[in-house]
Amino acid sequence: MKGALKLISILSGLVLWHLVATRVVNDSSLLVSPLVVIAKGYEMMFVTAELYPHLVASSWIFLYGMLIAALVGVPLGFLMALSPVTRDYVNPWMTALYTTPRIAFAPVLLLWLGIDIASKIAIVFLGCVFPILINSFYGMRVVSREFVEVGRSFRLSGVALFVKILLPASVPFILAGLRLAVGRGLTGVAIAEWFGATEGLGYLIFFAGQTFNIPILFVGVAVFALLGIFGFQVLKIIENLATPWRKEFETK
Amino acid sequence: MPGQALRRGCLSIAGGLLLWEILTRLLLENELLIPPPTSVLRSLWKLTLSGELNRHLSATLFEFVCGFSTACIVGILLGYLMGRYRWFDDLMDPWIATLYSIPVIAFVPFIIIWFGIGLFSKIIVVFKITAVAIMLNTAAGIKTIDPVWLELSNSLRLSPWETTYKIRLPAALPYIITGMRLGVGRALLGVIVAELMAANAGLGYLLRDASETWDSPKLFVAVVLLAAMGVGSFILIRKGEQKLAPWRETAEW
Repeated sequence: MKGALKLISILSGLVLWHLVATRVVNDSSLLVSPLVVIAKGYEMMFVTAELYPHLVASSWIFLYGMLIAALVGVPLGFLMALSPVTRDYVNPWMTALYTTPRIAFAPVLLLWLGIDIASKIAIVFLGCVFPILINSFYGMRVVSREFVEVGRSFRLSGVALFVKILLPASVPFILAGLRLAVGRGLTGVAIAEWFGATEGLGYLIFFAGQTFNIPILFVGVAVFALLGIFGFQVLKIIENLATPWRKEFETK
Repeated sequence: MPGQALRRGCLSIAGGLLLWEILTRLLLENELLIPPPTSVLRSLWKLTLSGELNRHLSATLFEFVCGFSTACIVGILLGYLMGRYRWFDDLMDPWIATLYSIPVIAFVPFIIIWFGIGLFSKIIVVFKITAVAIMLNTAAGIKTIDPVWLELSNSLRLSPWETTYKIRLPAALPYIITGMRLGVGRALLGVIVAELMAANAGLGYLLRDASETWDSPKLFVAVVLLAAMGVGSFILIRKGEQKLAPWRETAEW
C-alpha cells in the first residue's frame, strides 16, 4: 500500500512533467519531457560514453576529499572530546569555519592552491570534515559511563581502554557522520568544479546551463541525485557490517 | 558557556589573529595570497565609508529574509500535513528525497533559466535549500506527539482547530526550531550561490568581484562578513531553541 502510493506519486509526477513540457511550455530551451532526458542519458552512457570522463573526474575529487576529511576529522574529534583544553582552543575557529557558507572559501582556496585538483579536493574536504568531526566528538563524549566502568574494573587503562571500549562505542556515530558528509561532499564537488574546471559533473551542469542545453542539464542533475542516494546506501551497508551488534539489538 | 571556556576561546581567537598578522607581515611581501588582518580591516572601513558595504549587505539580507520566511511558512504547513496524514507523507516522500539529494548548486542553472536573475530567483534558491529541512523536522515533531496530550484535548472537547494550535503545534515547536537551525546555514549558502551566479549586489557579488579583480583584502572582507552572518544567525537560533525547549540538550555547533 505504502509502496504503491509512492509509485503512483512518482509516475503521476512524471506524466505531469511530460504534459507540461510538451503541451504547456513547448520550448526545448526551457523544459524538456522526461522521455527526452532519459533518451539523452542513455545516449551519454551507452552510445557516446561522454558521461564517464566527467563521472570519473568527479569521483576522484569526492573520494580524496572524503578520505582526507575522515583522516583529519575523526582524530581531531576524539582529541577534542578527550581534552577539554584542546576543545576550548579549537572551538571558536571551528564554529566560524563551520557556519560560514563553504562557497565563500572557494575563491580563497583557488587563490592558494590553483585551479588544479588540489583546490577542488580542499573544497570537498572543507564540506565533509565538520560532520565527521562533530559526530566523532559526540560519539566519544556519549560513551556510556557503564562501559567505561566495566573497562576500568578489568583494569583497562589508556590505550587498551581506548581501543577496546571508546573506539568501538563511537563507530556508529562516526559512520553517521560519514553519511551526513556524503551530501555535503557532493555539493562540494559541484562548487569546486564550477570554478575553473574543464571536466567533471559540476562542469557538465555549469556548461549545459550556460549553453541552455536542458537535456544535458537534467542528466547532470539526475546523476548527482543518484550518486547521493548511492553513497548513502553504501554507507548504510557498511554501517550494518561494521556494527553487527546494533542490528542484533534491534531485532531483539 | 563556562567562564574558563570563554576565556580560552577569546585567547585562541586573539592569538590566532596576532599570529596571522605577524606571519603575513614577516613572511609575505605581497598581500595577494593572505592579507594581514589589519589590511582586511582597512578594506572593511573603506567599503563602509563608501556605502558600498551597506548596499551589498542589505541586498543579501533582504534576499535571505524573504527566502527564509517563505520557506518557514510553506515548510511548516506542508510538514504539518505530512505529519498528520500518512498518505500525504507517502505522496511527498519520493519527491522530497530526490530534491534533497540534489546539490543546490546543480539547481541554480535551472532556476536562472526559468526565473531570471532577479530577486525572485534568489528567493526560490533559498526556499529550495531551506524548506526541506524545516518540512521534515516539522513532520517528525507532529508525528512524535505524546498521545496523552491528544487524549487530554479530547477530554477537554477542544475543536480540531484548537487541538492544532494549542496542542500539536506547540508540541512540534522544538522540532521546527531545529529544522530552522539546520536551514539557516543552508539558506545563507543558497543566497551566496545565487548571487555568485548572477547578481549586481550582495555579498556573493562582492566575493566574485573581489576574486576576479584579485583584491585579496576585499575578498577576505566578504569571507569574514559571511562568517559573522553565519555565526550570528546560528547563535540567535540556538538561543531561541534553548528558550523554547530548555529540556532538550542543544547542539554545541
